[in-house]
Amino acid sequence: MWRYLLILMLLMPAAAQPAQQPDLEEQTRQIAAELRCPVCQNLSAGDSPSELAQQMRAIILQQLKEGKSPDQIKAYFVSKYGEWVLLAPTAKGFGLLIWVLPFVALAAGIVLVLFVISRWARKKGRPQPTPVDPSLIERVLREATAETVLKVELDTESPGSLLLQEQARLYADLRELEFDYQAGRLSEEDYQDLRHKLATEAALVLKEIEASPATRAGAAAKVSETKAAPATKKTVEIRKAAVAGWKLAAGGIFLLLFGLTVGVLLTKSLRPRGSEQDSITGDFLTGTGPGGVGKSSGMAGMPGMEGSSQDISSLLVQGRAAYERQEYPKAIEAFKKVLASDPNQPEAHTYMGLLLSQAGHADGALLAFDRALSVNPKFPLALWGKGMLLFRAKEDLAGARETLENLLSVMPPGTEKEEVKKTIAEISELSSRPKQTPKQSKAGSPPDKIQQISGTISIDPKLKSKPEAQAVLFIIVHSGNSTAGAPLAVKKIDRPVFPLSYSLGPESVMMPGASLSGKVAVTARLDKDGNPMTKEPGNLAGEYKKNPVAGGSKNVDIVLDRVM
Amino acid sequence: MRIARSSIVNSQSSRETMAWRRIIITLAVLLPLIGILAYGFTRDPRYINSPLIGRPAAPFAVTLFDGKKLTLDDLKGKTVFLNFWASWCPPCRAEARDLEAAWQTFKDGDVLFLGIDIQDTDEDARAYLKEFNVTYPNGRDLSGKVAVDYGVWGIPETFFIDPQGQITYKHVGSLGSALITAKLDEARRGIVSAKEGKGAYQAVR
Repeated sequence: MWRYLLILMLLMPAAAQPAQQPDLEEQTRQIAAELRCPVCQNLSAGDSPSELAQQMRAIILQQLKEGKSPDQIKAYFVSKYGEWVLLAPTAKGFGLLIWVLPFVALAAGIVLVLFVISRWARKKGRPQPTPVDPSLIERVLREATAETVLKVELDTESPGSLLLQEQARLYADLRELEFDYQAGRLSEEDYQDLRHKLATEAALVLKEIEASPATRAGAAAKVSETKAAPATKKTVEIRKAAVAGWKLAAGGIFLLLFGLTVGVLLTKSLRPRGSEQDSITGDFLTGTGPGGVGKSSGMAGMPGMEGSSQDISSLLVQGRAAYERQEYPKAIEAFKKVLASDPNQPEAHTYMGLLLSQAGHADGALLAFDRALSVNPKFPLALWGKGMLLFRAKEDLAGARETLENLLSVMPPGTEKEEVKKTIAEISELSSRPKQTPKQSKAGSPPDKIQQISGTISIDPKLKSKPEAQAVLFIIVHSGNSTAGAPLAVKKIDRPVFPLSYSLGPESVMMPGASLSGKVAVTARLDKDGNPMTKEPGNLAGEYKKNPVAGGSKNVDIVLDRVM
Repeated sequence: MRIARSSIVNSQSSRETMAWRRIIITLAVLLPLIGILAYGFTRDPRYINSPLIGRPAAPFAVTLFDGKKLTLDDLKGKTVFLNFWASWCPPCRAEARDLEAAWQTFKDGDVLFLGIDIQDTDEDARAYLKEFNVTYPNGRDLSGKVAVDYGVWGIPETFFIDPQGQITYKHVGSLGSALITAKLDEARRGIVSAKEGKGAYQAVR
């Protein structure tokens, strides 16, 4: 239901005009969906609720009526805002790159994967491409299993001993492998594979040793052939260590440079947020000044001027999305931010109202809807919310009916309208037989009378504070002795005159089924601007000194003695 | 491990070249990526470069706050300083006094200042004009058509139009008097700037 109302609301500007041909609207929507909203990030002019996007849609519709083709209209926007305005860039020049690059990357990826797989398959599938004489391998296996332990003294000065050592090591490895296999620690497949590898290597070493006239001299000659300088085991190791060290150093330097770059860029582009609405990105990189509006010095202390409208529209989108996903804390966060930068934003007030009424705070919700309607008396969602709230929670049938009839007058015909009509009919029926009005929370609860809490509220004379004209007093009852968490009951008094005597009954209870019996804590708060969502300095608060009290207590007198 | 260790001797050099190749390939992939990211850092993603500089100014007709009508054709032969603003836009407020001061300097020449208020209420706009004692002509763009015709996205946005009706310069954000003087002089002589100017701006709603 909400979703349809929302869509309906977005379509309002178009729908408000005298009947359009539906295909013109559809065409407008299609063209707008292809255009970027210049003040949003990654939103099309069709999806954006911003004023500019609405104006763009109006221009599209106008031009369609003038008989322009969609291409001509798009070309018009391109001539004003550049190619940028097209969500899908034309396949020309630099734009072509964007179209081609993904496919090039995809092809390169496929080639890479094919290459890697084929190499892998070659290794795995044919482990035999050995240029080694099979007879040598046989000899190796024979020698290795023959228990002839090759003893090679560690003559580090002679490079030839390196080959002999290698041979001895490989033989030892082969024997170890054999032992492991016999002990059942290896699978047949692994055993064959490893055995073949080791034997091949050993055969290669053997071949090298054989190839030289004298083992040691030959090895030395071989080594000096491949290396310019005679490589001893030590120098090889030193070399290896040097290469590893060099790599480490290069990696370290690279990381250091990267860290420095990021550090410098970030510190230059970020700054502490000046206020709730401020952005952390700075002039250096993003061009957004303090408060998102630049270094204009005379701007400080200009209330309501900070907070860019773009943030508001994106916050509204965020809030709506969170609301749809039922992530209410997120939604509340977003709408609160909107209200902080624009205290009169009707949509944010409306959603706050919906959230409050869902949480059972009927009075707060009503206040929020009223605030929305005071800005825009024809705001459909607020009318709907208020009507349903009056009907379901407040049981103010006359008020609900009036509100919903107001809503009816601004709604275009459709199933939604039928639904509202049905609700009104239901209300009319209920109000025609008021005796049978189902009042679940009150039905059959005789202790109602003793559930009244009454007393007086006054302002501490020491504070010398005068309530402002639009101030609102909230009397809040929490269950038990705590004053945190969701309140049990809230009474709202507009334009209070102090000292004020009050009486709080079941009608102020927020949660259905809850009652004011038992121990409760009573507090009071005077809100300067009447908006319970915002906390301005100068709001007053106070509580009953002998909290908790029993339901039905009289003379629960509260002095507002704290400035918040 | 065993296998890797085994053929140290004869594959030492080929392994070294392999290692080198690996480093070079890694760098060849990573450096351009980092370069692209760094370039992205330096750009304002909200900024839209205007294609309008050097083109003829789009015709418009606005109703001024004093009730008179004004069209671009009325301004032919004059150097026009066309400024888009709104009362809710802090950078507009920041430059308002400078604009009025510049108007006082140039109003006797063949120069016309015209302010166009967008996305605003009549009441707020009038209060703004009163607050800053603006005396040059100002009108409201009710439908947003003029703003879109000039590709407005961040205000204040100012267009300098030469006597032939060509846009010579565009500036997004607050203007100082030195720049106003320089660009008005260029516009009077029909010199088209190569680049648009940029200052602190506020995105439109």
